[in-house]
Amino acid sequence: MIHLVTKEDIEHIAKLMRIEIDDVSEYFEKIQKVLNYFDSLDKADIESEEIHVQEVSVNELRDDKYIPFESKLISNLKSNKESFVRAPKMN
Amino acid sequence: MIGLEIHCQLTNLESKLFCSCKANYREFATNANVCPVCIGLPGTLPRLNQKAVEKAITIALALNCQTPKKIGFFRKNYFYPDLPKNFQITQLNLYGPTSIGEKGKISIENKDIRIRRIQLEEDPGRLIYEGASERTQITLVDYNRAGTPLVEIVTEPDFENPRQVRLFLSILSDLLENLGVSDPTLEGAMRADANVSVGNGPRVEVKNINSFYDLEKAIHFELTRQESLGSRDIPISQETRHWDDKRKITIASRSKEEDEDYRYILEGDIPWVVLDSQSVEKWKKNMPESISSKRERYVRDYGMPAQVADVLSSDKYYSDLFEQSHIKANAKEIANIITTDLMGLVDTREKREQSKLTPKHLSDLVELVSSGKVTRTSAKSALQEIVKTGKSVSEIVSQTGLGKISDKSDLGKIIDEVIKEEPVAVQQAKENPQTINYLVGKVMQKTKGKADPAITLKIFKDKISS
Amino acid sequence: MSLAVSANEYIENVKNGSISVEEFTAKTLEQISKHDSGLHAYLSINDNALDQARKIDKKIKAKEKVGAFYGMPISIKDNICIKGGKTTCASKMLQDFVAPYDATVVSKLKSQDAILIGKTNLDEFAMGVTTEFSAFGPSRNPWNQDYVPGGSSGGSAVSVSALECIASLGSDTGGSVRNPASFCSIVGLKPTYGLVSRYGLVSYANSIEQIGPLGRRVEDVALVLNHIAGKDQNDSTTVDRSNIDYLSGIDAGIKGKKIGIISEMSKGEGLDKNVENAFFKSVSAFEGLGAKIEETSLDLVKFTVAAYYVLTTAEAGSNLSRYDNLRYGYDLDLEGYEFKSYISKARRNFGPEVTRRMILGGFVPSAGFAGKYLLKALKVKSKLKKEIAKAFAKFDFLISPTVPILPFKFGEKMDDPLAMYLADINTITANLTGVPAISVPFEIHNGLPIGIQIHANTLQERELLQAAYALQSTTKLPGAPL
Repeated sequence: MIHLVTKEDIEHIAKLMRIEIDDVSEYFEKIQKVLNYFDSLDKADIESEEIHVQEVSVNELRDDKYIPFESKLISNLKSNKESFVRAPKMN
Repeated sequence: MIGLEIHCQLTNLESKLFCSCKANYREFATNANVCPVCIGLPGTLPRLNQKAVEKAITIALALNCQTPKKIGFFRKNYFYPDLPKNFQITQLNLYGPTSIGEKGKISIENKDIRIRRIQLEEDPGRLIYEGASERTQITLVDYNRAGTPLVEIVTEPDFENPRQVRLFLSILSDLLENLGVSDPTLEGAMRADANVSVGNGPRVEVKNINSFYDLEKAIHFELTRQESLGSRDIPISQETRHWDDKRKITIASRSKEEDEDYRYILEGDIPWVVLDSQSVEKWKKNMPESISSKRERYVRDYGMPAQVADVLSSDKYYSDLFEQSHIKANAKEIANIITTDLMGLVDTREKREQSKLTPKHLSDLVELVSSGKVTRTSAKSALQEIVKTGKSVSEIVSQTGLGKISDKSDLGKIIDEVIKEEPVAVQQAKENPQTINYLVGKVMQKTKGKADPAITLKIFKDKISS
Repeated sequence: MSLAVSANEYIENVKNGSISVEEFTAKTLEQISKHDSGLHAYLSINDNALDQARKIDKKIKAKEKVGAFYGMPISIKDNICIKGGKTTCASKMLQDFVAPYDATVVSKLKSQDAILIGKTNLDEFAMGVTTEFSAFGPSRNPWNQDYVPGGSSGGSAVSVSALECIASLGSDTGGSVRNPASFCSIVGLKPTYGLVSRYGLVSYANSIEQIGPLGRRVEDVALVLNHIAGKDQNDSTTVDRSNIDYLSGIDAGIKGKKIGIISEMSKGEGLDKNVENAFFKSVSAFEGLGAKIEETSLDLVKFTVAAYYVLTTAEAGSNLSRYDNLRYGYDLDLEGYEFKSYISKARRNFGPEVTRRMILGGFVPSAGFAGKYLLKALKVKSKLKKEIAKAFAKFDFLISPTVPILPFKFGEKMDDPLAMYLADINTITANLTGVPAISVPFEIHNGLPIGIQIHANTLQERELLQAAYALQSTTKLPGAPL
């Protein structure tokens, strides 16, 4: 079954991902093609499969110790050299 | 129907959930408690804190939850200035049960509040608004708090009224403090959101509540709002509302629901942690005694009145003091002194931090009271001095002459003074022996509480009847 | 002394005084200045390289302890952090980002006196197969500069192939070390997932990718692996390397070993005839070395490209969310913006391929689609892992051509992302299953390189390198025509 993705869907997702696209049509075809290709997964015989995730034991986890980072970080990362990070307010 | 979502910081840990910066961020200058990991620099990876897992599991056990065989983490993806990676590492039961606990309960009064789920997750940073918040367009971000370990406790909507909510939070608060995982009195250590519905109506979430006091008000407001809409047959929308602290009302959230698509995925940088039964058993064994167990024990083993046992057991500071200062013989007295005379002196975190009282002080003091050398009233003022200066009990007794005045001739002199000063009262006492207590009271005043009340009474009786 | 030496030859020559570290470093820098304006393997060069070289020479003269690399020039893909220098990921988004810390692999190489001579070009954020998606221009294949060098670690492969260094560290998410190694006629290894620390590798698809070494000789790659592999407390997904010396017994040969040809990767209409012919020659070569060869099938291979792009776009979408230009990035004034619009404006600095993948990565885990794509892809991954484990119960190695097609010209695949994605079909299986795989150069056809891919079971790098070494011994290939 071909999955019908609309331009509105793409605009909505782009907004969600904070991605600005000027011309949806530019992306529309290529993205639709790839999403339709993803549909080929429907043919795989995997219904009964359990997903597999890497495991570790509790004993391998990090010790609860305070170790300060040795140098100034935030003020060295951006040119404005302040200790606060400035961000535009959320409306 | 009311349900709660409570966030509790594990303030007693040394380090953050995924890096070695300090868990308790409160004393640091802006952005001085950060590292490449907690501000999400490119290429950095999270490292799970072992003790955080242990503490979170003990919370789950204390709340009677089922704990899973393995715990896993997921990413909740959304953009916000206080979120350095623009996702939060949290837990979800997306592929089977992988969060710290589920299906637990806490009893309040004669009702059970069911715990739906408990999860371990990281706190975001903090936003500060520059200058006058309405006009400015800039938010200042402090990441000191980003990555602080949080346990989120989600209840079923089992609460029937705000009072039950208040009771629950108080019990939960005491429980967490008693477990030694958190100090709920620290600013921001415990936060709660609510979801409220009336009858079979839709659930409305209420967020942005900054204190438990506000929580009650918010729930109350929301119940009223929904009931009022319902009585006018106006449909209630299922939505998220924000608590407006200034106007004390809930308002519809301006961010659209559709934005809340969190695109959950597995956290690929943290393998699932196998909770072997040996480790869990060890953690269970090391858990401090529960509040209810202590309460039972105090009543059963020391014959404490229920009220005293209640107060003592539910506050870790008091129960620790009790445990360290009592022996079987003086247990009741120590419990008494803690829950009456001492309480007012150490009822806040600041007072407790500054207090110089030690368990030895208490046992020494109670020894003197029991042996008749000091009156209860004197003991109370002694306590004040001890808390302030930490001086030993014997020092204070000799310095301030707190010893009980039992010498008959000493007392006699003072009593004679009072008889002279209060002829009307003396006359009354002759006629009505009950009113002698007023005169005894005067002697106590003059001796600053040191007079032995029994002997004073006897001497009065003798003198007056003669 | 020629620049076309192996790592061992270099180290021996420095040890016996035939050449100083400074001399070799200077020659390398000369080679770079001679060829790199055309090849564009490098995005930045280490200004202190000669100083560092002199310091090592001093240590050698003073008979002090010197690290295993003896000042050997190694290039580093520009998505791996080196403290104090730019790490751009070939993106305008990070054009000014200076890392305040070293990646674990970088610390390890530094502590062994390697000279990290420069940062190499890649497809932006490692998403691509040709370096054409680099925001700073593509790298060119030294075998024919009209042709792509492969990707995403194209710059790394070019730098090694063009004698601009002896070895390189790249990253491999779907073939990004093996593919360019094959296209540039060098050796490229993707280790077992977890063998090499990812701390300091800018994440693209963190549950799948690995840092991998590239070199002109199999034994050079083994040498680098020896010094970068091992459990790292900064990366919870790393595993123990059990003290294995990847060089020891590398020439043991493969007599009696059982090798399986992955049929889905070695025949069919997607496979270029010339690549197919070269592959069959390699099969004869393996047989000549005493191995027993049989065909085998990994049925799920046909779903790997779809599963791979579902998983990696979802992870990439999340991993790249942090690029909002607030804490680091490039200069863009906040004035006049509200939060959402600032972030969107800042993220316009992503190139078209990354933008596409962000959108795909938004779709895949979104509320309406997650069960449809993500869960299925995870299940394919699990089942494939079981399938390959079964194959390794029967075989010691599994082989295929590394890339089903010959290197192609610039621009050929730019208009069809799907066609580009399908170029990875032979390499993706190793990433999805976590097993190690290596590309060994085998033939030059009309001036264009063809590489052969060998897989081994989890944590069997030593055996894998033995097989690669054995195959290498059956050819005597020329160097790139510079």
